[in-house]
Amino acid sequence: MLYVELLAQGLVQGSIYALVAVGLTLVYGLLRILHVAHAGLFTLGGYVGVLVTNATGSLLLALLVAMVTVGIVGMAIYRLCYQPILDKPPYVALIASIGLFIAMEEVYRLVFGPYGISFENPPLQDVVQMFGVTLRLGEVATAAGTLLLVGALAVFSGKTRFGTAWRATVTDPDMAESFGIDIIKVRYLNFFIGSAFAASAGVMVALLNNMVEPTMGSVPSYKALAIIVLGGLGDVRGTLLAALALGVIEAFGTIYLGKFLDRDAIAFAFLILVLMVRPQGLFGRA
Amino acid sequence: MAMLQLENMDCGYGAFHAVHDLSLTIQQGEIFALLGPNGAGKSSTIMSIAGHVQLMSGAIRFDGTDISSLSARERVRLGIAVAPEGRRLFPDLTIEENLTVGGYSLPKGRETINKEIVFTLFPRLTERLKQPASTLSGGEQQMLAMGRAMMAEPRLLMIDEVSLGLMPKMVDVCYHAINHLKSQGVTILLVEQNTKRALEVADQVCVLESGQSVWQGTATEARKAPDLIEAFLGMTKEAS
Repeated sequence: MLYVELLAQGLVQGSIYALVAVGLTLVYGLLRILHVAHAGLFTLGGYVGVLVTNATGSLLLALLVAMVTVGIVGMAIYRLCYQPILDKPPYVALIASIGLFIAMEEVYRLVFGPYGISFENPPLQDVVQMFGVTLRLGEVATAAGTLLLVGALAVFSGKTRFGTAWRATVTDPDMAESFGIDIIKVRYLNFFIGSAFAASAGVMVALLNNMVEPTMGSVPSYKALAIIVLGGLGDVRGTLLAALALGVIEAFGTIYLGKFLDRDAIAFAFLILVLMVRPQGLFGRA
Repeated sequence: MAMLQLENMDCGYGAFHAVHDLSLTIQQGEIFALLGPNGAGKSSTIMSIAGHVQLMSGAIRFDGTDISSLSARERVRLGIAVAPEGRRLFPDLTIEENLTVGGYSLPKGRETINKEIVFTLFPRLTERLKQPASTLSGGEQQMLAMGRAMMAEPRLLMIDEVSLGLMPKMVDVCYHAINHLKSQGVTILLVEQNTKRALEVADQVCVLESGQSVWQGTATEARKAPDLIEAFLGMTKEAS
């Protein structure tokens, strides 16, 4: 039963990684920018989620508000931080992004205080039995929410005209523009969706830990980078699978390798191991 | 009536001038062939008209208006579409999705009608509608590239490397489509390595070499002066 338990825990953790990493891989695919500040949006999502829940008592409303606000902040970051430097070499955007991430953490510290905040009445704390595994409702909600969001993304990008235009723009922006696609609109949408997903992950982590703090994005920031490399940079499906795989590997690794390797070190040991064998990532094309 | 006029056009990438001082006029409804060896600037000319290669000096007039400050997106709305060098299909998108993107500048209602037209000309595309474009053979890719451009209902269709790497049968299909489009009143600018084939369909010809126009005239003149063309192009027998 321990295996099933670990698998379930791993998948829940992997869901959160997936929600953060999808936005990162979307931005990389479209603009070839490593959007480090993305993890700052994850943190912001957590704060908005806790504050709105405490004010209104509705977690669902808080999730929606967090996703929309953070989505808009994500678009503003594109407009104010990245768009002016798109024609510069990629490291310029990378440095800007790292700077922005540090600044965001400091702003959270100043505005919300250094010790973090919690839910007044933590929602979804009840325990349920499923398939012989004991899970908190929050964990079930996290997995289900991820499934719902990723499913909605798949339907949008796969079945709608604008979704098709989006995927076309990712593979060849010039040609997409040549057939009338507004690639600036695509970029805004890209940042909105990616940031909203990160915000939802922030709310879920806040729920699971009953805590948000200014630096909660630090570990996800570099772990998400590892995940998108594993998934094959810019490949959404690969990123999702890599995120789930990493969640599960960490869950098992903590039990069996925990004596030698810290949880976060396992992620990078796995990354190095995979890249030695498959430099293009787990699912990337050679 | 002149549909497209290039006036002393210089274009290129960064400091590199791919085309120098090129002037030419394409009349409404004609087929204009751009010939020349590799690296002569043919593709740069096409991509500059489409809005992707930077214009350094001169003007590009479409229906008499200078369009050189317009974006690629605005140009397709005026009726300029391109089937570019290397096809540049969207490899992960299906055949059908590639066509959808081709018609993106038009209202959704036109999509179904235009797809039917494309399928009539290239019935082969209907067999694999749901497959990614990357799975197509070279000939099918060219059909899809042309079909995708046709989805934009262009008045000026630019086709690069029409027959490059295609089997003779596929070349026939593509030229059949080109003739059909001409009969519908579409103006066509084509780049072709197969000089003989190009001269069969073209009305006007321009020979480029090292980014400059070295000969312009009607295709009839060009056919009468094979020595001249051969001198410029080193026309060989394999081009049949």
